[in-house]
Order: sequence, then C-alpha cells, then structure tokens
Amino acid sequence: MQTHFTENQLKDPGTQRANEILRACVHCGFCTATCPTYQVLGDELDSPRGRIYLIKDMLENNRVPDDKVVKHVDRCLSCLACMSTCPSGVHYMHLVDHARAYIDKNYQRPLSDRALRWMLARILPYPMRFRVALLLAKIGKPFGRYIPDARLRAMLEMAPKNIPPVSRNDDPQTFTPQQPKKKRVALMTGCAQKALNTDINDATIRLLTRFGCEVVVADGAGCCGALTHHMGKETESHVTAAKNIRAWAREMDGDGLDAIVINTSGCGTTVKDYGHMFRNDPLAEDANRVSALAKDISEVLIDLDIPEGDETGMTVAYHAACSLQHGQQIKTHPKTLLKRAGFKVVEPADSHLCCGSAGTYNLLQPEISAQLKERKVKTLMAKQPDVIAAGNIGCMMQIGSATGVPVVHTVELLDWVTGGPKPPALMAG
Amino acid sequence: MEMPSPNTAILSRKVELVARLKTVLPADAVIEDEAETRAYECDALAAYRCPPLVAVLPATTQEVSDVLRICHDMGVPVVPRGAGTSLAGGALPTADSVILGVARMNDVIEVDYSNRFIRVQTGRTNLSVTGAVEEEDFFYAPDPSSQLACAIGGNIAMNSGGAHCLKYGVTTNNLMGVTLVKMDGTIVEIGGAHLDSGGLDLLGLICGSEGQLGVVTEATLRILRKPEGARPVMVAYDSNEVAGQCVSDIIKAGVLPVAIEFMDRPVIRATEAHAGAGYPDVEALLIIEVEGSEEEISEQLALIREIAERHNPVEFREAQDADQAARIWLGRKSAFGAMGQINDYMCLDGTIPVSQLPYVLRRIGEMSEEYGLGVGNVFHAGDGNMHPLILYNANKPGDLEKCEAFGADILRLCVEVGGCLTGEHGVGIEKRDLMVDQFDPVDLESQMAVKDVFDPSWLLNPAKVFPLVSSEARRMAAQ
Amino acid sequence: MIRPETESELAQAIAAAESPLNIRGGGTRGLARAGNVLTAAGLSGVALYEPGALTLVAGAGTPVAEIDALLAAEGQRLAFEPMDHRGLLRTSGEPTLGGVVAANISGPRRVQTGACRDFLLGVRFVDGLGQIIKNGGRVMKNVTGYDLVKLMAGSFGTLGVLTEVSFKVLPVPEARAVVLIEGLDVAAAVAAMSDALGSPFDVTGAAHTTAGLDGHPVTMIRLEGFEKSVTYRAGRLRDLLAIYGDIAIETDPDRSLAGWSWVRDVEPFHDQDGDVWRISCKPSDAPSLSARLEADGLLFDWGGGLIWALLPEGTDARARIGAFAGHATLVRASEATKSDLGVFQPQSPEIALLEQGLRNRFDPRGILNPGLMG
Repeated sequence: MQTHFTENQLKDPGTQRANEILRACVHCGFCTATCPTYQVLGDELDSPRGRIYLIKDMLENNRVPDDKVVKHVDRCLSCLACMSTCPSGVHYMHLVDHARAYIDKNYQRPLSDRALRWMLARILPYPMRFRVALLLAKIGKPFGRYIPDARLRAMLEMAPKNIPPVSRNDDPQTFTPQQPKKKRVALMTGCAQKALNTDINDATIRLLTRFGCEVVVADGAGCCGALTHHMGKETESHVTAAKNIRAWAREMDGDGLDAIVINTSGCGTTVKDYGHMFRNDPLAEDANRVSALAKDISEVLIDLDIPEGDETGMTVAYHAACSLQHGQQIKTHPKTLLKRAGFKVVEPADSHLCCGSAGTYNLLQPEISAQLKERKVKTLMAKQPDVIAAGNIGCMMQIGSATGVPVVHTVELLDWVTGGPKPPALMAG
Repeated sequence: MEMPSPNTAILSRKVELVARLKTVLPADAVIEDEAETRAYECDALAAYRCPPLVAVLPATTQEVSDVLRICHDMGVPVVPRGAGTSLAGGALPTADSVILGVARMNDVIEVDYSNRFIRVQTGRTNLSVTGAVEEEDFFYAPDPSSQLACAIGGNIAMNSGGAHCLKYGVTTNNLMGVTLVKMDGTIVEIGGAHLDSGGLDLLGLICGSEGQLGVVTEATLRILRKPEGARPVMVAYDSNEVAGQCVSDIIKAGVLPVAIEFMDRPVIRATEAHAGAGYPDVEALLIIEVEGSEEEISEQLALIREIAERHNPVEFREAQDADQAARIWLGRKSAFGAMGQINDYMCLDGTIPVSQLPYVLRRIGEMSEEYGLGVGNVFHAGDGNMHPLILYNANKPGDLEKCEAFGADILRLCVEVGGCLTGEHGVGIEKRDLMVDQFDPVDLESQMAVKDVFDPSWLLNPAKVFPLVSSEARRMAAQ
Repeated sequence: MIRPETESELAQAIAAAESPLNIRGGGTRGLARAGNVLTAAGLSGVALYEPGALTLVAGAGTPVAEIDALLAAEGQRLAFEPMDHRGLLRTSGEPTLGGVVAANISGPRRVQTGACRDFLLGVRFVDGLGQIIKNGGRVMKNVTGYDLVKLMAGSFGTLGVLTEVSFKVLPVPEARAVVLIEGLDVAAAVAAMSDALGSPFDVTGAAHTTAGLDGHPVTMIRLEGFEKSVTYRAGRLRDLLAIYGDIAIETDPDRSLAGWSWVRDVEPFHDQDGDVWRISCKPSDAPSLSARLEADGLLFDWGGGLIWALLPEGTDARARIGAFAGHATLVRASEATKSDLGVFQPQSPEIALLEQGLRNRFDPRGILNPGLMG
C-alpha cells in the first residue's frame, strides 16, 4: 500500500520497520479468511487487514489512539494465522506488537483497564505470586457471579481445581542424560506454566534425558516476557527477556548449548523473536544467538531417534496451538512424533483457528474467547478422541475447561510410551 | 478516479439515518464513527478510497430488507460489500453512501447431494462452500484465486471465474437460485433446485450485475462430485507464439483440460525468486491440468505430451506424486504475491481471442518500454482471460497515473483484437470509463434500462459500471 | 411475411412496424401467433468459425443443420444438443440458430454440460424500437457490463429480434456408451440416475422412459469421451448401479446416438395424440409430481429434473400438480388450450413485475410477440 510517513518519522526504527511492513501489504483481504475474530464478528475492523489499516492511520498521523482503534487492536489474538495466509509476506506480528507498544505509551486507558493490566503484569510472570492468586481465585470462585466485571469473572472461572505443589525440578540445576550424552540443552521452565502444571516440565526432562540430552535449568532465567510484550509493555518485557538472554548466554559461553528448549509454544515464538526485539539494544548479539538456538520441544525430539512404539489403540486429537503452527510454522513434528509413538492422530476441522486462549486474551476478552473455545471444543469432540494433546499450556487450560476428555501436553504422551508414568490427566476417572 | 460528489443533504442527515438504522439493527451492526468507517473506504483496489457515511453488518435477509427500505426512503445510496476482495473497486463507497456488508451472513442453509445443490447465505466464502461438502467428496466449481477469502455474494455480483472454469464454467453457469432484496426492500425468490427459468432468465441478468440490481442474500449453487484424481504438467517454451499454438492444438485434439495456465518470463522470474518452485527460465510456461481416474489421466497426458512435443518444448515436466503436483502449481499460485514483493502492482483483467495471444503479448511488451513500467502476464490460456501485472511504485508521485494509463491502453487493445475489457474482475470503477470503447451509446442505454427496472431510484451502487457521464441523468434524478 | 436479408433491413422493419409482429425463426417450435410474421431466416451465414478457439459466430437465421454440418466437419458440435421440435409438433420448416437461442432449447446433455444460454457468448439484436444492440462478444470470459446475452436467451423474441449469435462449441468425443437398466419404477430410476450423476464418472445424460421400444421401462445413462475412458467408466458405473438390477451396456455408436435423439426429440409422443407438457423440477420431486399428473405417457430427462408428460387434450397439468418448486410449460396443444391455460408457468407477483418492466423497456410499443410470455 501507499504510505505517508515523513522523513522525520522514519528516523525512528520502530516506525521504519512499521513502514516496511505496511508497504508490503496490498490490501488483498486473504487474511480475513483465517482470522478467528473475523469469523466471529464479521467486521472488517476486526480482521488483520482492518487492523493493519487502523494502525497505519494511527502511526502515519501520530494520532493519540482513540478507544475505537484500541478496542480493535485489543481484540487481536496475535494468533498469527494471518501470517500463514498472507501471500505478500506481511510481518503482522511485528506490526501489531509495535502498535501495542505505541498504544501503551500514548493511550490513557480507563482506570479499571489499567488496574487490571497492571495486576496481570505484576502477577502472571511471577510463579510464587501467581500461585497465591490461583489459591485466592479458587476460594473466590463461588462468589464469581457477584462480580460485575466480565473479565474478573472470567479469571475466577479459569482458576484450576488443583494447584500443584512447587516442583523442585524447576530449580536451577543440571539433569544428567540416561544414555551417552548426545546434546546439551537448556530448558526454559517459564512462569505461568509451572504454577499451573508441573507435569509438563517433569515429563520434558524425563524424555530429554532418556534419549541422551543433558538438560540444564539456567540460573537467572524466568519469564520470557511474552505476556507483557503482547500487552504493549515493552520496557517490562525487555527486562525479563534480558535476564533470560544473559542466563542462557552464560551457559552458551560456559559448557555450551545445542538448543534452548521451550515447551510452551506461546513463549517459544517470543524467544525466537528476541533477535528482532533487541536489534537496537546492546544485547543484540546475544539475543540473536539465543533466538538462533531456541527450539520448540518437538523440533528437538524429532531429531533424537526415538524408537517407534507399539500401537496404543488410543486416538489422540492433536490441537495445533497458533503459536506453534503460525508463529513458529511447526505443523507436522508433533503429529509425526505421536504417530511414530503408536497413537492414532486425528485433527479437528478448521484446525487453523485459535482456541481463544491466546495468552491473556481469555482473561481480557472473555466473550470472544468463549465463542472461539466453543467452536474449537466442538470440532475436537466431533473426532471422538480418547485424549487431546497440545503443545501449549494456555490451550490446554482453555480446552480443558470445556470438555471431560483428558487434555495433556504432547510430551506427556511421548514420555509415557517410552517409559515414563501415565499422565495424571489420563488417570482421573 | 472521478466519483460523484456526495449529496450534502444526505450528509447533513447522518444522525437521523443512524438512529433509523439502529431501530432495525443491533447497535454493534451499525458503524458510524469516523475512526471506524475508514476501514470500509476501499476494497482490494486500495488505490482509490473514500470512507462511507455509515457501514452496516446485517445478519438476516429481513435486516437487509429493512436497511434498504430505510435508505430508499431517505434517498441514501447503498454499496453492497462481500469480503472486500474486489480488484475493480466494486465496493468503493461515496461519502454519502451506506456500505452494506454481508459478512455476518455465512450459514449453510441446505445441502442436497442427490439433487446436487447447496444453499448458502452469500456472506460465506467461496472455499468454505466446498468446505461444507468435501467430506462427501463434492465441490463447488468456480475457483477464483481469492477463493479462500472472497464471498459468494461478491462472486455472484461479478460473475467470478477461476482457473477451473475452462471445464466447469463460471458463477453464472453454476448458479441455480437466489434470494434478491431490491432497493425498496422487496424480497424476491428466483430459481431454486430446478434447472432453467420458467420465464425470462433473471438469474443470468443478476449474475454479473455488480450489486446494482439488488442485494443477493441467499444462493442455490450447483455442486459436483470430485473427479477421481487430477494432475498437472508443466510445459516450457522459448516463444509465446509457440506456446499459444500448443494450446490451440490441444483444444482441437479434443482434450478438455480442467485448466490451462500461462505465465510469461517476468512472472516466472519473480515467482522463482520468491517461491522457488523450480521453473526454468523461459519465455512462456504452461501449466495444464487434467482430471479422471489414473488411467484416464495418463491417457490424456500422453496425448498432451505428444502434441506439446511437436513444438519442441524446452521442458515437459509431469508430476509423479501429490508433492510434485503441488510444486508445479506453487509458482502459479504465488505469482501475484511474488510480483508484490518486487513492487506495488496493478492487476488487470481483459479477455482476448486465444489466437491473438502472441500479438497482444508483443504489443504489451512494446507499451511497457514506452511507459517505462515493467509488466508480467498471467493468462488463463484456455479461455483467453489475461492478467497483466503492471509494476509501479505507489509512493512515487505520478506512477499511479502512468500505471492507469498503461492499463487503459492494454484493455483498449483487448477490445481492438475482438476481446473485452474484463473477463472475471468486473467493471467496478476501474474500467467504467473504458466502457465506451467496447459499447455504443445504445448498448449502454439498454443495460442501464435494466437497472431502471430493478432499481428505478438508482441508489444501489450507482457510481459503478457505467461511465459517470452516461449515468448522470439517472443519478441526478434520484436526488 | 417480412423477411429481411440484413440486420439494418430488419431494424428498419421493426422501427416501421405499426402493429404487433409475430417473430419467427424457422417456425418449427409451435409459437405462431397473430400478427404480421417477421422472420430472421434471411440473416443466414457463418461470420467466423475458429475451431482452435472453440468459437462460432453466425447469423441468427442460419439453419441449425448447416451449423451442425460445419462443426461436424471439424469434429465439433453444439454440446447442448438442441431438440428438433418438428417431430413432436408436426411442424415443417428449417430450425434456425436464433430460434434455438430465443427458446433456450437444451437437450439431455444440459444436465452435465449446460444449457444453450451457457454456451452463448454474444448477441446482436434489434429491440422493439428498431435499435441495433450488441452485448457479450466472442470470448468465453466476459463480465463487461450486464449480461443481456443470458436475458435474450429464452426470451422468445419478446425483448428483441436476434440477428447474430456467438457460441462456444466443443469437440465431439471419440466414443460413447450407454448404461441401461430395465424395469425400474420412477422412484428407483430417479435414485439410480442421481447415483450416476453424483458419481465421479462424468455422466453426460440420464433419462428414463416408462415405456421404451419394447414397452418396458428403461433407464439410460450416457458416457462420452476417449474410448478407454468410456469403457472404464461404464464398468465402474455398472458396479455402482448393480443394486438396481441387471445392467446392459450399449456401445454401438449409431444405436447410442439414435437412443439419445429419441430422448432429445421426445420421440415417444410423436405419433400419439394429446397435449405435451414440459416440467422442470427438483429431480427427487419427479416421482411424486409425475404420479399426480396421471399422464398417458412420461419421459424423464436430466436425471429426473425434466419431465415430458403426454396428457389428454385440454388437461390443466398445473392444476393436477399443484404448487411445486419448478415450472410447467405447455409445449403441444391447440391454440384454444394454449390461450386458456397459458404456455408459460405464471410467475410470482415480484417476478412478473420485473419481467413486465423489462418488456416495457425493450419493447415499449408492445409489438414483439406481445402476450406470449406475460
């Protein structure tokens, strides 16, 4: 498209990048076809093309964002299905991230919004605080209907029944491989995931060590910064990301790393983007090294020569998390691994559509999130699976809240059939 | 691009209009804030933009009828909009108009396999119509390149085609019935699950009428059983003439491929750089696809190979499996995106008699030199429908105008050699002023007379299709 | 009778007309009416024929027979196989291309390949004021302006008189075969034809007669194409339709052709007296509709979507059928019956309004076959 930035505006690297992206867009509208909010709302304004258009106008004119533009940008899931669809290579993710940062700097949100976002940014990335919040939510759940704010109600609804005790596996340490060492990898233990579910990291560690990986939980690593980054709070996200970059750089320069393994695809997408996020920062070089080594767990497992398993007789409905299929463009590895392990793998119709979890989306946009959840669960259940597998904790929580079919992480199933314990979710009656 | 000046009387009644619309639509279906109507200011022909007064998103035929009745009553022009993927500016608003988007109406109403039809709301995307029947191995045939995103309503308005229409026809050959809402709100049911009209062919008239005769909210479409298989071959020639001759010979031999696509050197090079499909660097590349059982496919391909080899191709490549087949198509399918990576482009759409292909390509090459703008050609060789892609720089002053002039010359050339201005995309605003190159005044008058019958008030998409000067009297009378 | 030899003569004749005209091609379709006869038969001759581009342009008065011969010499044909009405209507004369278009005459292959109007690429015609108008062209992909080409097809001369028509033609396939099933009742026949038409084997004709040459019901399913392909598909259809009974396959080219001409021209009713109705319906409705007709003879085409019914003179078939989705046209009857019952199915008020509006615009003086369609 034609853009109208002044030379002065283009001196800002963020605006420069935005201009590049906007020039690539030809306004063809293909992206509307795969956008979950466009499916639900049928409004150009809630499609990638429409958002691109609103963002373009906002940036070109240095506008103070108005509540309408903010509403539509807030409604974006950042599922990135549009990037998979775009024939012109528009980097929508970078554009919407930049727009969110711009909005955060220039838009005065209503007090309740600001308070809510502040609270999420102060709690979710910090496992101890998050555990306390989950406990409070569990207690407060029965009183949910007295709360007028839909988003707070949604949060109470999302609180899980069981809050696992802290796993010591998440402490900084090194796990020795059971086979002769093939690789040395760092495991990102994350933040929200380990407060909600410790089985995933446990299974990941068992699986990796079983097949020859020395696994190190780096000292000083923590939240990847995705949650705050997607809220537009660039400063905060960069602080946490920088901690990770330093922690992993230390390992790379120390005993060396073959990969940085991430088993929450929402985080994986962000870590792989560190190079771009830190391109104008002194940490740029290390950030690039970290991005280059960042791998989803399925990418590492596919190369580990895991032996084929016997037929389990179980049907697994594979839910392709947006961050994995669109954000990281990993579409086949998890299915291949599950099939090789002996599972019958089925996929729901419209598998490209988001389940509505999308980080904090299910908390901030409960109505749309609920509609997407309903669609997703309906298509999954139509395949009559014995178990649903996904590569992202957010999806697991979202889908799990609307179905009685057990929902597990892909690694839990792979761990199980190669010698690990039966996943707890499968044991519940 | 000249558009009629907005009616200031209507502009001053916006508040009243919005209030009345909100009595028949939920609040979230009425978009009136300037920060939001902006997103509806254009379709995929983004070079021309004008925000509408209001945009509405009805969810039922009755809501569409109510909206039109209000607008008719107040004399407000209405511009129907499907997915906004038109390349001809069909959904371009004027500042005094209401955009009526059908995107919320996307249900499947009925599927009938024994009678081979599907009935859908017209906001549904083209590809998802096939999506609704593919489990039973059926499909909906017209396949415009934008089929992932374009709406059936838009397909009907523009009589859309696609690569596979060589064998299966275009939208009008696959449309069996519609629910049409006239500008005064009257709902008319036309056609249905039976074949052919009992009187005048109103369906044929409505299809391709670019949203000017009524708003189509539901449609009955023909569905077909998928063939047992399909396979493409790629044939590369060092001469456009020879490639054209090869196409002609294949058709004369009685082979009916399901698609014959043609790409010239600039497009081939662009797609190689962008998609790396593995095409050779030649002057002309054909992709020919045939359907049937394995044996039938082999038989047809053998015949095609024999014919193709009579003309000494640089390469004749058959797909041995599904992956290779996808690779052969990959370049063609990424062609537009690939050209877009080089620069901005304007995609034209004219049709020529197949025999004129080499001459027209030569003339386009000459004009490209004269104008100093690069151009690549993608061509539905089986039926003569051309898509020249003119490269320009939208941010360079004067380039757009040069590009438009070049495009107009190409389209006039198409008419000159016995073809027409547009094969698939429609007239919209893009070719409006060229209509006088193809039609005499009496021809245009006969078409406008049809609109007089369906929409005497000339409020439905009034600034499209006909040169403004031709439709002026009628549009003025409406005010 | 006015018989212009050129387009401008025809235009002048219409401009000068002071009373209703009966527009005619070869006069074989039984639509003779009161008024001065104006025939386009003098506008005969092929203006362009490009086999490699599958394109034919000819005067509206060109005899269909001449076109058929010209195309056959290049191994091509009018794929929609228009009916020859002379046998059924006991008319004489030479059917013209323009007449085929004006009545949108489409035969058995219509169910697969499309109707006459689907092959029509362009028209030149003279409207009721004597103005010469063109629409469409000679190329297949054409969405330039409104599609008056489709409007003219099947307008029975009420909106204008065709002077020149452009067609897409198709190659004549190498071989053909007919899959035959004997003894099916109408419901089973429609089901069998639906299965066939819903198969991937590219069926190009599906018809059923309650009384074939030997008096028994016969269901006929046609396949065309390259020889090996036809043999393969016939075998696959035989397997698919085996549940309906014994399957025979006719491969003799002459007999296959004759069989489908028999269907196309409604031969069963040629030597029988009575009115003939032509009903277009949803195929699965055919059994119940045909039962209600209580006809003396029935011939089903288009997989059941077209019913030819032979009924006692003066029968109101529409009254017998009642309300249904589709239309019933009176094809053969006395002038009195036609006048009484109307040739064409009455339309809904909304559609009637639009059609009348169109007639008013194209023929303001009401001189082109007035009253024929509404």
